[in-house]
Amino acid sequence: MDDLFSLKKAFLEEIGSVDDLAGLQLVRTKYSGKKGLIRARLRDLSSIPPDKRPLYGSTLNDIKNFIEETIRNRELIFKTREKEQRLETEKLDITLPGNFTPFGRRHPVNQILSEIKDIFVSMGFSIEDGPEVENDYYNFEALNIPKDHPARDMQDTFYISDDIVLRTHTSPVQVRVMEKRDPPLKIISPGKVYRCDSDVSHTAMFHQVEGLMVDTGISFSDLKGVLELFIHSLFGADTPVRFRPSYFPFTEPSAEIDIGCIFCSGSGCGVCKTTGWIEILGAGLVNPKVFEMVGYNTSEYSGFAFGMGVERITMLRYSIDDIRLLYENDARFLNQF
Amino acid sequence: MRVSFEWLKDFVSISATPEEVSHSLTMAGLEVEGIDTSVGGDSVFEVNVTPNRPDCLSILGIAREVAAAYRLPLEMPGDDIQGDLPASDIRVEILNPELCHRYTGRLIKGVTISGSPEWLKNRLEKCGIRSLNNNIVDITNYVLLEMGHPLHAFDADKLSGSVIKVSKAGKKRSITTLDGIERELSGDSLLIMDAKKTLALAGVMGGEDSSVTSGTRNIFLESAFFAPVSVRRTSKELGLRTESSYRFERGTDIEFLENALNRAALLIRETGGGIIHEIVDVYPEKFKPATIEVNYARVNALLGVKLEKGEMLKSLERIGIVVEDRGEVFHAFPPAFRRDITGHIDIVEEIARTFGYGNIPARLPKTILSGGVLNHRERGINRIRETVRKTGFNEVINYSFMSPSDLDMISIPVGDIRRRHLSLRNPLKQEDSLMRTTLIPALINNFAYNFSMGARDIRLFEISKIFIAETDRLPTEGLRMGGIFYRENIPSLWKESAQAFFIVKGALQSLFEEMKLGGYTFVPSEEVFLHRGKSADIELKGTKAGFIGELVPDIAESLNLKVRKPEIIVFELNIDTILAFLPERLTYRHVPKYPFIERDIAIIIDDSLTAAWVMDVINSFRSEFIETVEIFDCYKGGNIPAGRKSLAFRIIYRSGERTLTDNEVESVHRELLEYVLEKTGGELRYRT
Repeated sequence: MDDLFSLKKAFLEEIGSVDDLAGLQLVRTKYSGKKGLIRARLRDLSSIPPDKRPLYGSTLNDIKNFIEETIRNRELIFKTREKEQRLETEKLDITLPGNFTPFGRRHPVNQILSEIKDIFVSMGFSIEDGPEVENDYYNFEALNIPKDHPARDMQDTFYISDDIVLRTHTSPVQVRVMEKRDPPLKIISPGKVYRCDSDVSHTAMFHQVEGLMVDTGISFSDLKGVLELFIHSLFGADTPVRFRPSYFPFTEPSAEIDIGCIFCSGSGCGVCKTTGWIEILGAGLVNPKVFEMVGYNTSEYSGFAFGMGVERITMLRYSIDDIRLLYENDARFLNQF
Repeated sequence: MRVSFEWLKDFVSISATPEEVSHSLTMAGLEVEGIDTSVGGDSVFEVNVTPNRPDCLSILGIAREVAAAYRLPLEMPGDDIQGDLPASDIRVEILNPELCHRYTGRLIKGVTISGSPEWLKNRLEKCGIRSLNNNIVDITNYVLLEMGHPLHAFDADKLSGSVIKVSKAGKKRSITTLDGIERELSGDSLLIMDAKKTLALAGVMGGEDSSVTSGTRNIFLESAFFAPVSVRRTSKELGLRTESSYRFERGTDIEFLENALNRAALLIRETGGGIIHEIVDVYPEKFKPATIEVNYARVNALLGVKLEKGEMLKSLERIGIVVEDRGEVFHAFPPAFRRDITGHIDIVEEIARTFGYGNIPARLPKTILSGGVLNHRERGINRIRETVRKTGFNEVINYSFMSPSDLDMISIPVGDIRRRHLSLRNPLKQEDSLMRTTLIPALINNFAYNFSMGARDIRLFEISKIFIAETDRLPTEGLRMGGIFYRENIPSLWKESAQAFFIVKGALQSLFEEMKLGGYTFVPSEEVFLHRGKSADIELKGTKAGFIGELVPDIAESLNLKVRKPEIIVFELNIDTILAFLPERLTYRHVPKYPFIERDIAIIIDDSLTAAWVMDVINSFRSEFIETVEIFDCYKGGNIPAGRKSLAFRIIYRSGERTLTDNEVESVHRELLEYVLEKTGGELRYRT
């Protein structure tokens, strides 16, 4: 039995001087390894006289458990200590910038264009595309703007030839769709349009979204409902909206739609020319002459059409005071959106 | 048009403030864009009169609308010429009655030409017309502003043969107009002539020869109706727009023109004396109002309102439209000054306008449900745009125009399809006179602009249409995505060692992977504006879908960047092609559940062999256990002999059915190695 107590004593001495995990591993191998001292004692158990064997055995077992538990405890302490050391020493200057390539930005006009499309798409409108270089017929005549009509002065047109123009609005897309499909129709036609005009509020190219809804029983009241919903979705539910009479050859009755000036809240400023209102959309019931051109039955169907300039809305949204900034493509400008 | 508030009050006794009246006009469709209060105690409205309302191009016309809005009577100035008048010495003949529907005139003899009274000058100037120190001319202008009817005064003594003929030119003629310019006229122009010569361009401008001057004693005052199309054509042809042509081409009041004539004659007598002669009035075909049948129920249905019959009729009467109730329908007879009203929808508009758009309720339409989804193409373009911007490129939008020199700048060869451009007939400027056939020149300009502004990390892209001219049909419009990349080689915190070409190639690969476009390859490009050694055409399953590459040194140098060997990478993709190759539908593949074994090989091969070719060699080795092959090193120099390079590949082995043993993999890997070395003629550098 004495050898067992001296074994324990020796163990306690040794482990007392161990200071790290490596040293601990050596002690573990020496005492509780497969070829360790404990195993050796167990193998020699048969050499102990039978009457002393039970007591010797249980003492040996206690010592074995004690040694293993002590080692485990020390191990836990060392591991904790080592972890603490790593956490303390492996220190980054977390204020250094991360490694990344900043995302590019969508052009602000395309961002607003997306918003507009999303609103109409959520109302069940589908998106239609058409040529930017158009026949005079689709751009004007089919929209009740014959040659020699003063309404042609409303849009300064780029000509390729006598009969081919750069579209001045996206309405020709509506005519093309109506020629191909019967009502009911709910479409928008977004895209680039062209007018030979250039100053702080006009560029020779800009973007429009025009829309068309045709069905039985469509009224001016529906037009108001849809466009009010659109404006409230885009500018906020509190935005004041007003409809006033205007003129477009392809709609009748025609309307221009103003929103309460978002800069001065209607009290009058430079942007709204002191009127408190900003024009945002043109619209109206589709002129029966347009329906006749595409062969729709005007006593059965009615519809409304509307159109807006995307640049203008973009400028209002971001308080941009010169439309040409949108086409300078200066990264310092583009990065802001 | 400028409308003096004080002048309006001659016609309607309004007590409302200018602001209130301005608002009422705007809400009636005559938008007041601004109020000028800088003119001596008066308020002058800037009214935007739409092309359908020529009747409102006058004080009287606006007054009519104000009177209707405020339900006040319209007060007309006296235009009755009293007493026995001498007969006119001057005859009028209309030779083209289809272009001149009525011609009236009055001879006034013994007039004194002088300056105009202050009140008259004042009103003219408030409304934007300069007084010419000639009472006759000033009065014709005054009546034009007041009544909306253009008048013209001839010096009667300069007329030959006491006759006025209204006739087409018939042949080429010329005339020196009042502004002193000699103008060539086409045979179709409608002219006012006497027995010998051309006196005036009907409805556009008078001639110098017959004009009223300070020495004039006797005048012939004209008030006529010329067909809008005729005046518009002449005015456009000559590029000559006047207050007169502006009104005639929109349509004037054929009934009222006599009142305007009388009003002017009286004002002339008042300011310059003279004897007014009897009217000459040639009016071959009298105005008959149109009869328009309108269904009451249809009006309510189209507007979404419930108006009573009486309300509709009264509102129309208030704006001068005669109506007759016929039970289910009514008949409307628009006056001569409302030629824009021709069909039932015009009457619907007038009812809506007078009822007030604000009073029409808003409701959401009852309509069939529709998908409301962005279509396939639109979604595809959105994803492309989003992916490219997330690789660091800013989106730009350029005009669709290009300069004639743009294609030369990038040396597009003669015969290349991009030379088939469209030209604008009336460009704003020469640099914007062609429609783009490629996005690259504009992107180079965007790059140069940003560089000049100090940017040194420039990544821009654009998705826009290009236009290729066709014979006898509309041009082909193609959607392209172009991009440009430049990054100055400056030290940065986190080293990114990839060459510019590979950064952009990587961006495009991100795009292709995101779009699930398999089977794309980069092959040598023949674009002459790209560096031969650093460019590629991009093929999708064998179809050319675009190019990428470094701009050739001479283009880069022409930008004067003061940078040695700038590496500017451009690319252009055909979006239509890409969209056509998008997979219709994705199908799920099983995710492998057995473990993989990884092996590397590095081989030294001839430098002329491309990585893609070696990769193809590896992929041509048939083994069901090879899952992926990836190149992870390309090395030249050091202990690698000149003219050769080392390529290293990592091969992942895996079975879909069981766990592979090291021995199995080793034997496949050894075979692969031998196969690759034999096919490439390379030697092994190392393996695992």
